[in-house]
Amino acid sequence: MRVARDGRTGRPGEPIEIYKEEAIAMLDSVFTGWGAFWAVIAMFAPFALMGIYIVRRKSVSDTGPSPLQPSEFIPLEGVWLTFAFIFFVIINLAGLKFIPWAAAAPSLTAEPAEPITQAVDFTAKSWAYDLSSRQIEAGKPVRFSGRSSDTQHGFAVYHPDGRMLFTMLMMPNTTKATSVVYTFKDPGTYKVRCLEYCGIAHHAMQDELTVVKSN
Amino acid sequence: MSFATSVVNNTPIFGRMIYVDKSTGLEEINAWPALMIMSSFIWLVVAGILGLALPATQIFQAGEDHYYTAMTLHAAALVFPFSVQLMMGVGLHRSGGCVGKAITGFWPAMTWLTMNLGSAILTVAVLMGLKVSLMVMFPLPLVGAQMGVWSMESVIVGFTGIYLVLASMILFYPILIFKMMFWGRKRPELILSERSLNDPGMLGMILSAMVLFLTGLPLVVVGTTLLLALYKILPMSMAAWAADPVVFQYSFFFFAHNLMEAMAIMVASAIYATLPLYLADGSRKLISDKMANLALWILLVTSITSGLHHFITFYPNQPAALSYWGSVMSWSTGIGVALSIFTIFATIWKHGLKPEVGLIAVLIGWGIYIFDGASAMVTSSIAWAYQLHGTMWQSGHTMTVVLSMALMWMGILYHHYPVITGRKLDPALGRLYVWLMSIGGIGVAMVMLMAGADGMPRRIANWHQENWMFWGNLFMFFGLILGAAFLVYLYNLMKSSEITATVGRQLARA
Repeated sequence: MRVARDGRTGRPGEPIEIYKEEAIAMLDSVFTGWGAFWAVIAMFAPFALMGIYIVRRKSVSDTGPSPLQPSEFIPLEGVWLTFAFIFFVIINLAGLKFIPWAAAAPSLTAEPAEPITQAVDFTAKSWAYDLSSRQIEAGKPVRFSGRSSDTQHGFAVYHPDGRMLFTMLMMPNTTKATSVVYTFKDPGTYKVRCLEYCGIAHHAMQDELTVVKSN
Repeated sequence: MSFATSVVNNTPIFGRMIYVDKSTGLEEINAWPALMIMSSFIWLVVAGILGLALPATQIFQAGEDHYYTAMTLHAAALVFPFSVQLMMGVGLHRSGGCVGKAITGFWPAMTWLTMNLGSAILTVAVLMGLKVSLMVMFPLPLVGAQMGVWSMESVIVGFTGIYLVLASMILFYPILIFKMMFWGRKRPELILSERSLNDPGMLGMILSAMVLFLTGLPLVVVGTTLLLALYKILPMSMAAWAADPVVFQYSFFFFAHNLMEAMAIMVASAIYATLPLYLADGSRKLISDKMANLALWILLVTSITSGLHHFITFYPNQPAALSYWGSVMSWSTGIGVALSIFTIFATIWKHGLKPEVGLIAVLIGWGIYIFDGASAMVTSSIAWAYQLHGTMWQSGHTMTVVLSMALMWMGILYHHYPVITGRKLDPALGRLYVWLMSIGGIGVAMVMLMAGADGMPRRIANWHQENWMFWGNLFMFFGLILGAAFLVYLYNLMKSSEITATVGRQLARA
């Protein structure tokens, strides 16, 4: 009997929803800022260890030529490149669910996407935001649509615990507003910051959103 | 004595570091490269001091104005007159010795002059108040002038400086490389190690020059139009298309991204040329030239359009399809890098290695470059881009790619140093440099990525929010170690001891 972390159970070999949910929950933490850092370490560490080993061995303890012929390296090279390719593909396929515009698309899920009933329209101008609303309900998707009226600006939303959830880039004179759909999980006060350098008061370009429990 | 030799040999302190040895008969491939290398070290000192000033302004709360001044100048000095100019100098010397053609006359002179004059003019503009960051952030320069934050004169001066720097990188330097490769008289007495374009060590030179020239041309057209309008030679109405932020930003990043890629291709090629010279069995060859060349071609083809990842968060103004394309191409560069990793490691495994200081410095720089490449691929994934774009992660990536390539070129300079100067470097100081550079380089790269993962914004003059000053203190700590590494390196150049010209020439050909 397999037991999920929340206590739900399933028979071995049975595709049960709870494990899928757990896998998605795990990916939730992978596709975060810190998840990105550990992904870099996961890619770099094998290279670094292999490099240190090869350079040290072939320059200190065993400097003579290897009996291997160049042609004998080819299968190993094939394995190495295949591994790299598969690793790259898996990471990017896993990330598809976390792309804001893809997450809002109904085609990626068996269930129809939840209708977007909340909207926050805003205009960014040095060095403030003009927001249509600052209050959002948790658990319901909200569409953020923004434009800039002077120079480049950003609109980054930070969780109350300090994590950055998403950011948007706005340039003036665009025909469309920059747009993101996001569903907040936790009620609280979320900070908004400009992440595109916009002049001498760039650091002061901030605002706040309040996320309340859904009715 | 050429003008370049005269300037180098008469410059106090820095001239001593790379004093051109006229007795070797190689002055025609040494003089202008030496002047570029010397100039790049002057800018390194400027960039280093300003880099340390960034956390210092926060620690001592010196004010936002100073922070943004240091930020703009530090990044501009680090990237263009230091890193790119160092690459030009060492790369030109290497090319000259491979094809046996003199580096003299109009083109090297203009390459050097426009790079340094342009950088100096840009510095003046920033001191006049123009604080627009390395990326210009167009239309920020014009908006700032309209808001009265800085003067229109500073904008005109700044654009003039930027334009001259771009002319050096996009026009004069690539044309000089093309001229050396395809035209001019080959002179056997200038050949140090003859190579053809099929050699991985030369292929990268021509590919990178081609990338700089072709991907830079749109920016030259946009920049020329804007500059003519700023000088009132063209009416502003005729320059309106170039002043459109989307046009400017896309042409700017099409070039800026490929500038980094071109530098990567060139330095990969330089490793392919240098590594065989330090193989323990004296075989002097890579495990496979074909695979080495294939890696360069993959890097070239994939990198050209991968810069679209800079605008992932601009959706839907940048359509999703272009973002996917940029992301896929960015990860595909990883295949080229994986191929080059295999070629380099397999070569070392097959032939053994003579662990000379210069080569170890090159390999560590290359390791930092691989680390940075992983961070670049991750941040070009669309899901991660939404959580990292605009944070310190991006600053860390930009700084690390520039730093790693500079470290590789500084390592390669160890190899070429005797033939340029007729002097040899102290191996003990070299080893100290390698240790400090490894700790400082990897440390500062990691800490900046961690700060970005923690959500710390880049280019922000207030680190006293959240927990960001913790990262700021670590920037300072590892920055000081990195600064110490550079000081050791430059000190080693200054106190290098003389060898005879004949030995120097033999060393270079060995």
